[in-house]
This record gives sequence, C-alpha cells and structure tokens, in this order.
Amino acid sequence: MPIMTMIQAIQSALDEEMNRDERVMLLGEDVGKRGGVFLATEGLQEKYGPERVIDTPLSEAAIIGAAVGLAAHGMRPVAEIQFADYVFPGIDQLFSQAAKLRYRSGGQFTAPMVVRMPTGGGVKGGHHHSQSPEAHFAHTPGLKVVVVSTPYDTKGLLKAAIRDDDPVVFMEPKRLYRAIKEEVPADEYLLPIGKAAIRRPGRDLTLVSYGGPMVEVQKAAEEMAAASIEAEVIDLRTVMPWDKETVLASAAKTGRLLVVSEAPRTASLASEVVATVSEELFDQLLAPPLRVCGFDTPYPLAQDKLYMPTVTRILNAAKRLLEY
Amino acid sequence: MVQEKIHFEPFSQEPIRLIDEQGHWVAPFAHGLPPETLRRFYRDMLAARLLDEKLVLLIRTGKTSFIAPHAGHEAAQVGIAHALQKGHDWLFPYYRDMGLVLALGVPLVEIFGQTLGTAADPAKARQMPSHPGSKKLNVFTVCSAIASHIPPATGAAIGMKLRRTGQVAVCTFGDGATSEGDWHAGVNFAAVQRAPVVFICENNRYAISVNIRQQTASANIAIKARAYGIPGYYADGLDVLASYFVVRWALEQARTGAGPSLVELVVHRFGAHSSADDDSRYRSREELAAERQQDPLLRYQRFLEQQGLWDAQWANELRLEIAKELEAALQEALKAGEPNPLEMFDDVYAACPWHLEEQRRLLAEELA
Repeated sequence: MPIMTMIQAIQSALDEEMNRDERVMLLGEDVGKRGGVFLATEGLQEKYGPERVIDTPLSEAAIIGAAVGLAAHGMRPVAEIQFADYVFPGIDQLFSQAAKLRYRSGGQFTAPMVVRMPTGGGVKGGHHHSQSPEAHFAHTPGLKVVVVSTPYDTKGLLKAAIRDDDPVVFMEPKRLYRAIKEEVPADEYLLPIGKAAIRRPGRDLTLVSYGGPMVEVQKAAEEMAAASIEAEVIDLRTVMPWDKETVLASAAKTGRLLVVSEAPRTASLASEVVATVSEELFDQLLAPPLRVCGFDTPYPLAQDKLYMPTVTRILNAAKRLLEY
Repeated sequence: MVQEKIHFEPFSQEPIRLIDEQGHWVAPFAHGLPPETLRRFYRDMLAARLLDEKLVLLIRTGKTSFIAPHAGHEAAQVGIAHALQKGHDWLFPYYRDMGLVLALGVPLVEIFGQTLGTAADPAKARQMPSHPGSKKLNVFTVCSAIASHIPPATGAAIGMKLRRTGQVAVCTFGDGATSEGDWHAGVNFAAVQRAPVVFICENNRYAISVNIRQQTASANIAIKARAYGIPGYYADGLDVLASYFVVRWALEQARTGAGPSLVELVVHRFGAHSSADDDSRYRSREELAAERQQDPLLRYQRFLEQQGLWDAQWANELRLEIAKELEAALQEALKAGEPNPLEMFDDVYAACPWHLEEQRRLLAEELA
C-alpha cells in the first residue's frame, strides 16, 4: 500500500474522481498550471485539460458562485479557496446561494459541490493565513462541513464529498499537509460523512477534537496513558452534521468530556458539543464538560504556538476533569 | 439604408429603438414577424400588466405580504421571454421579473401559489413573494441577495460550453445590482471564459430610492461592458421589439461561440420599489406622471394599430379572457391550502440529518 501525505491523498482522490466521472471538475486560483499553491491539484490540468481544471480570476465570489451554477447545471465542481481566510468575499455565494438553493427552490435545484480550503494555524501565517472559520459554515443550514486530520481520511472523505448531493465545505489543516505520512489504499474507498472515528479507546475521560489539534490531543492522551489514565480520543472528522451518537456513547461511559479545537472558543463547535452532552447526559457526568480552544482574539503571529491548544493546556484541563 | 440581416452594433450613443413613441417602425430592417407572433407579444404584455394589477390588489386587500411591482417593465420582459428558447436556455431572473416568468410559461397558479405562500408553490412556500423559479422551464429560483445570481449564471454557462449543450444562460437584474462586487465577479469570469451568457439590466433608474446618478458615474450601464472586453447593447426597454431583437441578437452571438454580452434595457418603474416602499418620498408625482405617458403597452398598441392588428374589441376580449385566467388561477392557488408545517425540515439537505429529525419531532409534538 502506498505511503501518502495529506496533499498526496487529495491529489489521489481528485484524480480518481475525475477519472471516474466526467462531471467532476476543478476551479480555483492557480489550480491549473501551478497545481495549486500547496500543489494539491498538481498535474491534473495536464491530464484533464483546461476546461475541466480552470484557473480562475482572483475572485472567491466568482469561484464559489460559478461552482453553484455549474453544479445546478449538472457538473460536480470542486472549488479551491486558496486559504480559508480568503473565503469571505465568496460568502454570499456560499451562504445565500449554495447553502439555500435546494431549500429555496423546494428541492427543484441543487448544488452538489465541494469547496476545499486549507485551514488553521501553525505555519507562521499571521491572522489571514491561519484562521479556523468552520463555525460560520456549520452555523449555516444547508452546508456540510468536513475537517480532516489524516491522509487516509482525507482521501476517503474527499471522494465521498464529491459524490455527496449537498454542498460540502472541505477543510484541510494546512500544517498537516506534509506532517503525517501513512498508508493510503491506491484503490477505491469511501468514508461516510457525519461519522466520527475513535482514535484511541479509553474509560477515564473522553477527548473530542478534529482537524489540526488532533496531533496535540493524541500526544496528551499518550502522556496520560503513561500515568495510567486512559483517555478515549474521538476525531469528529465531520463537524456538520457531527456524530452525536459516538460522542454521547463515549461520554456516558467515561463521565468526563473535554472538547479541543483551535477555533476561537465563544460560539464554537466545541461549545455546541459541550452543550449537547450537558443537555443529554447531565445525570451521568462526573464533572462539568470543558473546552480547550483557540483564544477569542484574532490569530496572532508571534504567539502562534501559544494560541493553538497546547499539550500542556489539554493535560491541565484533563486534570481538572479527573480531580473534580 | 435597408439591412438584409438583422444585427446590432454595440455601444450606441442613443438607446436602440425600433418603434417610436407614435408607434412607427423606424428600424433599418423588416421585422419579418408573423401577425400571430406580434399579437402574442401584446397579449403577454397585457397579461403581465394585469398580473401586476392583480398583485397590487392582493396587497391592498391584505392577502399577501409583499410584491415587487413590474409595471413599466412589460416590453423588456416579454421581449426577453420570446428571445430565448423556452425550456432549453436557462433564465436567472431577479425579483421584479414576474412578467418575464409568466411570458416564459411559468403557470399562473404557481405564481399565485408563490405569492400567497400556499401548497401550490412548487418551491414549498419558503421564500417571500416575487421569488419564482421552475426547474421544468430552467428558471433558476430567485434569490433576494442582489446580484448573487450573476456568478451562478456564469457557472451554468461555463457548464453549457463544457458540455456543448447549445444552451445560453440569460441573467436579468436591476441597475442597482451593477454596483455589487458579485456582479463584477460574474461578468468578468464569464468574459474571460467566453461563456454563453447574456447579462440583461432592466434599468428603471431607481434602486429603491437611489437614482441612477447616485448609482454610477458611467454614461449608461451598457458601456460598462467595454471594461470587460465584451459588447454592450443600449436599448429602449419600453419598445418590445427592440428588446426582443437586441436580446435575440445577443443570444445568437452567445450560442455561436462569440461569448457573453451585456444588454441594457431602459424601462420605467411605474410602481414603488415594493409594497413596503413609499416612492413619493423620493420622486415627484410629476416625474412619474410623465413616465406613465410613455406606457410600453400604449406604444405597442399604436404600432399594432398601424399594422391593422389591433382594435378595441379584440383588446377588450383579451382583457376579459386574461382577467378570467388570473382569477381562476388565484382561486386554485388558494384552494391548495397552507403547506404542511413539518415540510419546513425538508430540502435543507438531500437526506434529513439527525439534528433536523430531532427538531422536526419537537415541532410535531408541539403541533399534536
């Protein structure tokens, strides 16, 4: 089985889907000749031609909006936004058009499209190359939101997103693009959108996270294990709709919940998970659920590593839960 | 000079006009349209006007919550509807296009269902009135967000080109839309891709209260096309045949691979912006009265009279026939009743996810 990085997994997924289905096409800034600024679409214009891999003008509204029209007309567009931080000029297209097309037309028109974007911090990008805006998307009914953390998941989930009949925002933590290598099947496989993965079984507390911080969460779990504390680690993978069943089952078993995300804490996905678990499992919890998130500041440059959830901060929160 | 073929030059100083105020044919070519087509245009314009009057009545009697009157736009809208290939080309309309979608064939009962929010609305009564759509007729459901449908029209046109379907996307909007960033984004991308799309501005010179002189410093809307490297046609939208032939020309260009164009049809807005607006606060009654003298229906009536195709008896019969159709459709739309409230949770996604199922159950319990 080949060993792939997340970037290679994306290339592989796009290539397989374009090869399988003529309706699948790519559009975005620099995705053609340049192969994307992170090289996620490298070689695909050469292979599939400039009509199916379009270098667009520098306009997120044009990219996402054209994807809506292409999808409504019968194509399966995969749009690339160069950085999640730059999606905002395209937000009217994503929120007013893509997310609501099925609903506002009573199911007559649909927008089966994927909007890929590198997300999150850790690359010394300052606040306009580092944000984690997934809560905005998850707060917009009509969008599905995937945030990946491994090459294996990336391929299976991206292929599933392309085949999904709804618009999917597909978020790729850019600091993991080349940080992890693992075996990824060269043949076809799909992973279900909306299904979490249990990365590590445990009985003492539940750690829920997704995307970039999965690395720190797993490190923290390993350190806890060395002290004979068994944390169950859940990777949500999809944040809309998120896998409540898996999270509730784990929190009911451990009685302790910690949710970790690098997005700002207030009004976050982490808050949503904590609120839901509190509502549904109040009697079974041994401690109040906690969140470790990015701070409610714009993403800073110099304090980059301190802004994102650190292993120390995760361990301290876990300690609070265990000693409650 | 008589032209053998009908064609138009872009960027004219004056609006392209084929019928003058007195109803005289002033074009350098023969229109070549059979009498039944010429009369059909009149019927569709009259139906559009009577629909507008009916919608105003529904507002005044408290039967609906909102309308965006289209009176004054009838010639432009009927011209556009007849220029495109119905059910083949795609239309991306805006909220003041009820006359256009009617002329294109959207059934009156669906129009009233949408207006009244009953189960007769194929879009399940989720949007405010004046937001029609029809998958059957390739009418992309109207979205309130101004100019947000421009990039999707471009995208659909790129798809048409890619799949060589021979279709054209027609995208209509008001003058205010041309100030939005998404308008620029969509027109620019279409121009670069030479996508088969015709952008049509129904310029009534008012965006709610803001006059065109506060909207743009350009001499007109059509001239903006120059910056995108595409032709811009400046035409009289009170002249149904000018609207028809210019839009048809733009469609032919797009269909044969010449790429997009921008058509400006200058019209009047006889009503307020919407039923929630009071236009006496920002435009004089004298200005409006003068515009009403230039009624597009009256000009076309004069033209037909000169062709021996219009008489008062025929027009009166037509008026009665349309009024009857309007009333019957209205009653049918009312009879459909309110939609099932639990349908609120359908069509957010292809399949209903767990959180929406939970919320549907919650509402069902409340309603039980």
